[in-house]
Amino acid sequence: MFRSKSADRMAAAAALFCALSLLAACAGGPDGPTPIVSAPASIGPDALVGRWGLAAYHRDSDRPRTEAEAKRQCNNPYNITRGPNGGLIMHLADVAEPQELVLKGGPGGANFLGLPGAAGAPEDREVFAVSEKSFSVKWVNPDNANRYGMMIYVRCA
Amino acid sequence: MRRPNLTLQNPILRRLLLVVGACLVALPAATPTLGAATAQDEMQIDDQPGYVPNEAEEHLEGPLERQVVFFRTNEPPGSIVVHTNERFLYLVMENNRAMRYGIGVGRDGFQWAGQHKISRKQEWPDWRPPAEMIERQPYLPRFMAGRPGNPMGARALYIGQTVYRIHGTNQPQTIGHAVSSGCFRLVNGDIIDLYERVPVGTRIVVKQAPSL
Repeated sequence: MFRSKSADRMAAAAALFCALSLLAACAGGPDGPTPIVSAPASIGPDALVGRWGLAAYHRDSDRPRTEAEAKRQCNNPYNITRGPNGGLIMHLADVAEPQELVLKGGPGGANFLGLPGAAGAPEDREVFAVSEKSFSVKWVNPDNANRYGMMIYVRCA
Repeated sequence: MRRPNLTLQNPILRRLLLVVGACLVALPAATPTLGAATAQDEMQIDDQPGYVPNEAEEHLEGPLERQVVFFRTNEPPGSIVVHTNERFLYLVMENNRAMRYGIGVGRDGFQWAGQHKISRKQEWPDWRPPAEMIERQPYLPRFMAGRPGNPMGARALYIGQTVYRIHGTNQPQTIGHAVSSGCFRLVNGDIIDLYERVPVGTRIVVKQAPSL
């Protein structure tokens, strides 16, 4: 079958466009980094179960007094309980209804907390500095992170 | 001369009584509500921690814009007078003048009237959402350190040893309205201006609309 040179050029351009589109999709979107397929988290859910004083800050210089203030907020604690499927009953950002969330492992040993699925999804939060007495989280979604800053949970007695 | 018929058999009198009766029923509904804002009067808006309004959003126009106005009062120059029902705060000046600021009034702002003094001032105050807000929005932190985007805004002036204060806001659209949280709020440009003008110890008088 006879094909014109212009048709060949159009086919090549279409193939290039498709390839570039595929690469762009793989590069991630406006909601944050591309989610990484989940691996087991390095912390167990029981480490987060309990009653916590919850506070937030944006500037590192505010962390010490925010931590002290979080302890004072134990008069209205944030409760984290185990879910029926082994996860944790907590809230996503700006969602009043609690849901069962899971801990997920990400690259470099990072731990994420969110709905079942890939680690580092936009609605996830990254979990830092987990100890018996406290842990911190930061939202993956840049808008949520900008609004809520670093959130610190201090265990209540 | 014929005597006027003042009995109910007089059709004109009957019509007049009907009209008067209708007015008496309608009058309470037509009379503006006085006193504290009701839930129906409140602007239904939740606090938005972390939201930073842009310059255009923070710009007030018309009566709510900060301006010098004619203001007669017995309060001495340098005093603050708050008229909650008008949604204005006045900083009394000389010669029957005042700097007038548009304000939003939270439920706390409707709870008391009287006089006090500014006991302390703070830049970028911290925010502690009230318990009823936590109940509606349980994902909120119970404390957020002050910074741009904080619901308490850029400055706070604390009133006596009470929980009441004059503060900024990250929701400029609430100025001129009754809202659920906070006390007396100004846009950040205005609270910074007021903050610079008033020292600790400034007299403040809060006036509520009379309730019948």
